[in-house]
Amino acid sequence: MTDLALKSLLHDKLRFAITVSGVAFAVTLVFVQVGLFLGLLGNASISIEKATADLWVTTRNTPNVDFARLFPEGYVQRVRAVPGVQRADNLIVAFLQVALPSGAEESMVTYAAEDLTAWGLPWNIDQGNVDDLRRGPYFFLDASAAKRFGPFQAGDYREVNGRRLQIVGITHGARSFTTTPLAFMDYEQAQALMSADARSRTSYILVKLAPGADREAVRAEIARRLPHNDVFTREEWARRSRTYWIVSTGLGINMGLTVFLGCLVGIVVVAQTLYTSTMEHLKEFGTVKAIGGSNGDIYAILAKQAAIAAVAGFALGAGMAYATRELLAHMDLRLVIPRALNAWVFAGALALCLASAMVSFRRIARIDPALVFRT
Amino acid sequence: MEVLEARNVTKTFREGSEPVPVLRGVSLSVVPGEIVALEGPSGSGKTTLLSILGCILSPSTGDVLIEGKPVDGRSEARLREVRRRSIGFVFQQFNLFPSLTALENVAYALQVKGARKTAARREAERVLEAVGMGDRKHFLPRDLSGGQKQRVALARALAGRPPIVLADEPTANLDSQVGAQALDLFRDLAKREDRAVLIVTHDPKVRDISDRVLAIRDGRLAA
Repeated sequence: MTDLALKSLLHDKLRFAITVSGVAFAVTLVFVQVGLFLGLLGNASISIEKATADLWVTTRNTPNVDFARLFPEGYVQRVRAVPGVQRADNLIVAFLQVALPSGAEESMVTYAAEDLTAWGLPWNIDQGNVDDLRRGPYFFLDASAAKRFGPFQAGDYREVNGRRLQIVGITHGARSFTTTPLAFMDYEQAQALMSADARSRTSYILVKLAPGADREAVRAEIARRLPHNDVFTREEWARRSRTYWIVSTGLGINMGLTVFLGCLVGIVVVAQTLYTSTMEHLKEFGTVKAIGGSNGDIYAILAKQAAIAAVAGFALGAGMAYATRELLAHMDLRLVIPRALNAWVFAGALALCLASAMVSFRRIARIDPALVFRT
Repeated sequence: MEVLEARNVTKTFREGSEPVPVLRGVSLSVVPGEIVALEGPSGSGKTTLLSILGCILSPSTGDVLIEGKPVDGRSEARLREVRRRSIGFVFQQFNLFPSLTALENVAYALQVKGARKTAARREAERVLEAVGMGDRKHFLPRDLSGGQKQRVALARALAGRPPIVLADEPTANLDSQVGAQALDLFRDLAKREDRAVLIVTHDPKVRDISDRVLAIRDGRLAA
C-alpha cells in the first residue's frame, strides 16, 4: 500500500519533530530516572552480591548492610559447628571517620574480615595486594573517595579514627547507597580502631555452604543455635537492603512519580499533536472514506504514524539517555540501563503513542464522508 | 440498462426537533456512456442527492439501484463496498492527498478499493497517461496547477474502471479556459470508456458536454 501514514507524517516536518521530541523527552526521563534508581539500588546491595557468602547472619532486624549492629564474635564457632557449613567467618561493617587535610572529617564504610579474599572482597582492584592488609596498619580505599576526601594514591597516609593508616590498594565501584566510599582492612585492625566496647564483637557472620548442603536446613539450624540473630540468604539480604532504602527514602515513590509524569507529558504532547493533525486532515480522511476506505483503514494510518513516532522518539530518547550516562559517569553517578529496561521502555513508548493515537479514533469514527462535498 | 437509478428518493434531516425535508421524491436514471448535468440553486438538495447516489448517505425513503441492484442503505459496510466497486468521485476542491504524488494519489485510491500495489501502480499510470498527466506523475499536488490537479482527480475517479462517475462542481475552482478543457477531457473519457456520469454544477458550460440536463428545485426534479 502506498504509505500515506509515513508520507503524511513527514510532510509536516515541524509537527513530526514536535511529536518525536515529546516521545524522546518521556523516554529520556524514564531511562534517567530508572537508571539512576537502579544505580543507587545497586550500591545498596553491591557488597552482598559481590561477597561469595550463601548465608548472612545478622543481628535481629538489621535494616540494611550499612547499618550493622554488633554481636559477640564467638557466635561464629556455633555456626562453624553446624553440619553443612563449609566455612564461616566474622565480618565487620562499620562507619569509620577519616580526618581530611582540611581538618574536616568524612566517613567511610569499612569492611573487615580475617581473610577478605576468601569471600571475594574487595572487588575491582586497581592497585595493591589484598594479602598486604594483614601485615600492618593498612587499608584499601575506593577511588570514589577522591570526591569526598580529595585526591589520594596508594602509599598515602590517612588518619582513621585517630590512627595513622596507609592506603595500600585502590578499588573502584565500591560505594554504599549514600555514595559513602567503601574501605577494606584486616579484621583485627578494624577492631583496634573501634571503641573498646566493640572489641570481641562482629557485625555479621558470612557462611559458605558445603557442596550439596541443604540451604534451608542449614539456615534453620543456625537460626536455632543463634535465636537472637537473623539468618538471610544472599538474595533475601540484598533485597532487604534495597527495600529499606526504597521505602525509607521515598526513592521508589519519587521515581515512580517522575516516570508517571514523564509518561503523562509524553502522552499529552503526542496525543495533542496527533489530534491536531487529525483535525487538520479531516477532509483527507473523509476522502478516504468516500472512496471506500473504512474507519479501520484510517485507524491503521494513525496507529502507524504513532508507531513511527514511537520508534523515532525511542531512538532519540535512548540516544540522549546513553549520552547522559556518559556525562553522569564523570560526576560519579551511575546510570544503569540493563537490556531489559531498553525493551520495557520501547514497549512503553509504543503503548504510549498508540494510546495517544486512540484519542483521535473517536473523532475519526464520527467523520461524515459527505464532508468531501462541502467547501 | 440503467447503471444508476433513484426511485422516489426522499431525505429528511433534523434540526433539533424540527424535521427538514431536503429531497421530496426524486427519481432519475443514468445509462452507461451518458453524461447528465444536475443544476440547481444552493440549498436545492443537489449535494444531498449526489451523496445518496454516491452511497455516502442513505435515503429516508425510496430506493437507489446501482448496476440494477438495490443498495442496502442500512449497512455502512455494504455502502462502502458499493462505493469501492462501482463509483468514482470528482470533488470540487480536488481532495488530493498533499503528501502523495499524482501517481501515488491515484494508486492509493485503487489500493483502498482493494487493488494490489503493482496492479494499482500500473492502472494509475494508465489513467494518468489518459488524462495527459503522464509527464507529471511524480509531482506533488502543490507543484501542480488547478487544471492539472483536476486532471489527477479525474484520473483517480476513472481508475479501476468504475461504471459510475459522480462529479461535484468539477469546474468551480478552474478558470473558464482550463474548465472547458477539463470538461472536454471528461466527456472524451466518459464516452470512450462507457461510464455513466452525473455532474452537479452551476457552470453553464457543463450543459455543452451533457447529454441531458436535470434541474432540481426545493428537493424536487423540475420538469
